[in-house]
Amino acid sequence: MSSNQRTTRPITTGTSVVGLVYDGGVLLAADTLLSYGSMAKSFNTPRLYSIEDRILVGASGEYSDLQEIIAKVKALALEESTTSSMESIYVERKLPAKSLWNYLRAVMYQKRSKQNPYWNDVVVAGYDEQTSKPFLGTIDKLGTTLQENLVATGFGAYLAMPLLREKWRPDLNEGEARALLEDCMKVLFYRDCRASARIQLAKCTSEGCIVSEPYDLDHSSGWNAPSMVRATGDLDGDRGS
Amino acid sequence: MALPFKGGVVVCADSRTSTGSYVANRVSDKLVQLSDNIYACRSGSAADTQALTDYVHYYLNSWSLDTGRQPTVKTAAHLMRRLIYNNKDQLQAGVIIAGWDAVHGGSVYTITLGGSCLELPFATGGSGSIFVAGLLDAEFRQEMTQEEARTLAKKACAHAMTRDGSSGGVIRTVAISSEGVDRDYTPGNELPFGPSAPF
Amino acid sequence: MASSGSGYDLSSSTFSPDGRIFQVEYATKAVENAGPVLGIKCSNGVVLGCAKPINHKMVVATTGSYKRIHTCDTHIGCASTGFLPDARVLVQRLVEESADWQEQYGSKIPPGVLGERLGTYAHYFTLHGALRPFGAAAVIAGYDPDTKECSLQLLEPNGAPYMYYGVATGKGKQAAKTELEKLNLHKAPILAEDAVKQILRILYLLHAEQKDAKPIEIELSWICEASGWTHQGVPKDLLKTSQEWAKEQLEQEEEEGNGRRLN
Repeated sequence: MSSNQRTTRPITTGTSVVGLVYDGGVLLAADTLLSYGSMAKSFNTPRLYSIEDRILVGASGEYSDLQEIIAKVKALALEESTTSSMESIYVERKLPAKSLWNYLRAVMYQKRSKQNPYWNDVVVAGYDEQTSKPFLGTIDKLGTTLQENLVATGFGAYLAMPLLREKWRPDLNEGEARALLEDCMKVLFYRDCRASARIQLAKCTSEGCIVSEPYDLDHSSGWNAPSMVRATGDLDGDRGS
Repeated sequence: MALPFKGGVVVCADSRTSTGSYVANRVSDKLVQLSDNIYACRSGSAADTQALTDYVHYYLNSWSLDTGRQPTVKTAAHLMRRLIYNNKDQLQAGVIIAGWDAVHGGSVYTITLGGSCLELPFATGGSGSIFVAGLLDAEFRQEMTQEEARTLAKKACAHAMTRDGSSGGVIRTVAISSEGVDRDYTPGNELPFGPSAPF
Repeated sequence: MASSGSGYDLSSSTFSPDGRIFQVEYATKAVENAGPVLGIKCSNGVVLGCAKPINHKMVVATTGSYKRIHTCDTHIGCASTGFLPDARVLVQRLVEESADWQEQYGSKIPPGVLGERLGTYAHYFTLHGALRPFGAAAVIAGYDPDTKECSLQLLEPNGAPYMYYGVATGKGKQAAKTELEKLNLHKAPILAEDAVKQILRILYLLHAEQKDAKPIEIELSWICEASGWTHQGVPKDLLKTSQEWAKEQLEQEEEEGNGRRLN
């Protein structure tokens, strides 16, 4: 890569990624909208990636930087598996999620130290084979890492995090976790100009990772409260606040 | 812009090249052939996009020499993405890569200013694109015939040329399919709409 | 090799008067003395196999210290024989070339191109006086996701990569080639599952025919639908049943006398 490329402002962007640890796994959610400034550029672009069906990587921010990060991660995972095949064709030495998370921290920190950050907040999720516990961590564009039970990047940090903190329990089951994340995504759709109602969920358990196909949130119950339906702009209203 | 049809893709562009508000070339060709079955639609700086398409043309050529095959649209898009991403500070280039290949059939990629590479159902780019986004959202269908796609592309292009001061001139289209490429020219006095609105 | 080099064998930069490069031929000799490697291109995949002679009772043959089949990219496998450290260098080159292509073009390298590139690399070592040709051969199994075709190539120390329907190199390659030819692979390709059996059978046959043979260990890998078109070790249960089949088959052939035919 040449040294003169520099992301000084995000151009093609994705918005929030939210995620949580539940009983036995990690669940992430992100919408599939890419914005070009304020224009909706693409409606079906995934921002959650499964690496070798074992690690989930998701990010908000500049999409070209995300593509670069994912290419890097895939190359790293491939290198890991080709060098592990030096041991035996039956040995599958797989990159642990926590190692990838640390590797990305180094990459992100190095980039920002060159005044040329990857303009993303990255979420890494996996399942720690050694402790048999789910793993969830974030890296911001400065290279700061956090390992948490709850994560929310971008607008999600303001809109989804309070909801997550209120409703989260360590013994949440998968269905409850999913409902909670869908609630968060719905609020983001309502209140984030760069969010859409088409989302993806991704799950990581001891069995491995799955990323769902994009699907549309059911927001049919969100527009029909009497206070919403009531017109307020007429002469007898409050001048359409 | 690039609109896929059943078995291929139509690429379409106006012909205005401007320096500030002076029309430097009113009959330019923004559709550049990268390989037998792949075209680029250029927008942004003419100098930058000419240099970029020259590079990608060269790389695709060496790809074909290496493999003995026709390159895929995906490969062309990847090469363009790398060039734009790695030099994003110094480039003003938005490029659509579209075409037909034996592996994926017709496909459309757009590479945005920052070097993001997106595969899309159809793509618009350049200053006029915002004026036709809604029209295409409403009228685009998957699996159109070549003629339907070409007609829609020209219609959308004409509307952009009417409302966008930086677009204008003639409409050039190329239909790309397994059969090869078919160019088409619509002079500025025979546009499906405009150049001025009739009302 | 009838004559020895009479001075023309000191460097690969000099031809002998009868047009040979002895250093390359000696390198080929190094391959002929090492454990056999087989490959079969099948109707539904491609299979690699090799037999590693266990030269020392205490060596741990299942680990990287003595490994002969490598994964170079998800869709590329390489079985090598000859001077093992040299083979490692070839494998490393395959890994790098595959990764470079992926970075440059955003797609998997076509196996044919990879073979050509490794050939160019190996050939370079046959041109210069200061270099030594690779004393190793590489059998490359590959899958091309664009054309959905499998391929099998052999690269020898001279640097020429060739495509094959079935290929054998290393010790006993003549006998192995004869056996492969009987399978009629170029006319009627067999299934990967059957290729596993046949490769095992031939490897055991070579071993049995060898005088004062050391014990061997087998490595077998494939690319096929069952492996998701990626290069993987042949599943151990299939390996076990195939080994049993191969041994049984050889015993039967033994009973039937000298005629070693395939049914």
